[in-house]
Amino acid sequence: MVGRFVETLELYGRLSDADREAVAALPGAVRRFEAGEDIVSEGDAPSQCRLLLSGLAFRHKTLRDGRRQIMSFHVPGEICDLEGLLLAMDHSVTALSRADVSFIPHAAMEALLDGHPQVAKALWRTELVENAVAREWMVGMGRRSAYARIAHLFCEMYARLRAIGLVEGARCWFPITQTHLSDALGLSVVHTNRVLQALRGEGLLSFRGGMLTVHDWQGLKAAGEFDASYLHLKADPV
Amino acid sequence: MNLILQPVMVDTGEEGEACLVFAEGWLVAVLVRLSDNHAGAEGFWFLEKGFGRLDCPDPPSFSDLECAQQWIREHLEIHRPPRWPGDQGHT
Repeated sequence: MVGRFVETLELYGRLSDADREAVAALPGAVRRFEAGEDIVSEGDAPSQCRLLLSGLAFRHKTLRDGRRQIMSFHVPGEICDLEGLLLAMDHSVTALSRADVSFIPHAAMEALLDGHPQVAKALWRTELVENAVAREWMVGMGRRSAYARIAHLFCEMYARLRAIGLVEGARCWFPITQTHLSDALGLSVVHTNRVLQALRGEGLLSFRGGMLTVHDWQGLKAAGEFDASYLHLKADPV
Repeated sequence: MNLILQPVMVDTGEEGEACLVFAEGWLVAVLVRLSDNHAGAEGFWFLEKGFGRLDCPDPPSFSDLECAQQWIREHLEIHRPPRWPGDQGHT
């Protein structure tokens, strides 16, 4: 089962009918993970690609005393451990919400990539975009205010979820806690909470029970200094 | 170690109740009282800013000023340099 994988690849490259059929025919056993459960752990040497079918996940490293840095969030249709094809995992990926994950054997993925260069290119682009996202986060943590960082992250997730059809009426399911936000953006929970109150107070968004509602997209973009070009999506949400 | 707390108002966008913490005459921390915007931690004292050895990536909150002072003392003692400014030959 490959869920939205074909659609995700098509965000990043043109596939032929044969490419689509080959992707759809990938074998994959599905396993369900509960929120907080590791989908793949630091030190693992995977023999399968873990494709997120539903739910969200985050990539992170955790220090010995429990301090954690979240490096990115992942949405359905993305492979959580593509680097596992070539390297052991140097970080972990954990389910943010309940998540269904398809385990695709590396041999099947390698055969697909060998036989379908357009699929390989699209997948390569997804990795390049992930690097672009990491650069943008680095800019944020190094140079943006707490206010802009949080607004930027919400813009990013909103744009990405919208691109795969998971925004309905300016609302999307993004079940992060203030602790996740703090760990992603290098902020204290207190500062994160203050900024959330400010963004709400300015009427830009509401964020309750894991549901993000964007009330003023242009205002939120301005608050986050957000320019979606680094996501290389086909269209910026309007 | 003698700590002196000086009440101030700090512009954090909240109620502003805060205090400067001085150790041996040096400003080492700013503690801010959390408003009821912080469900579960309202009334706690947050280490808004720690200077020098109290500058940490995960600033803690304390249930009262006594706890905050104890933590500050412990941190300053643990990381005490060979010569604290104003010390008489402490090693």
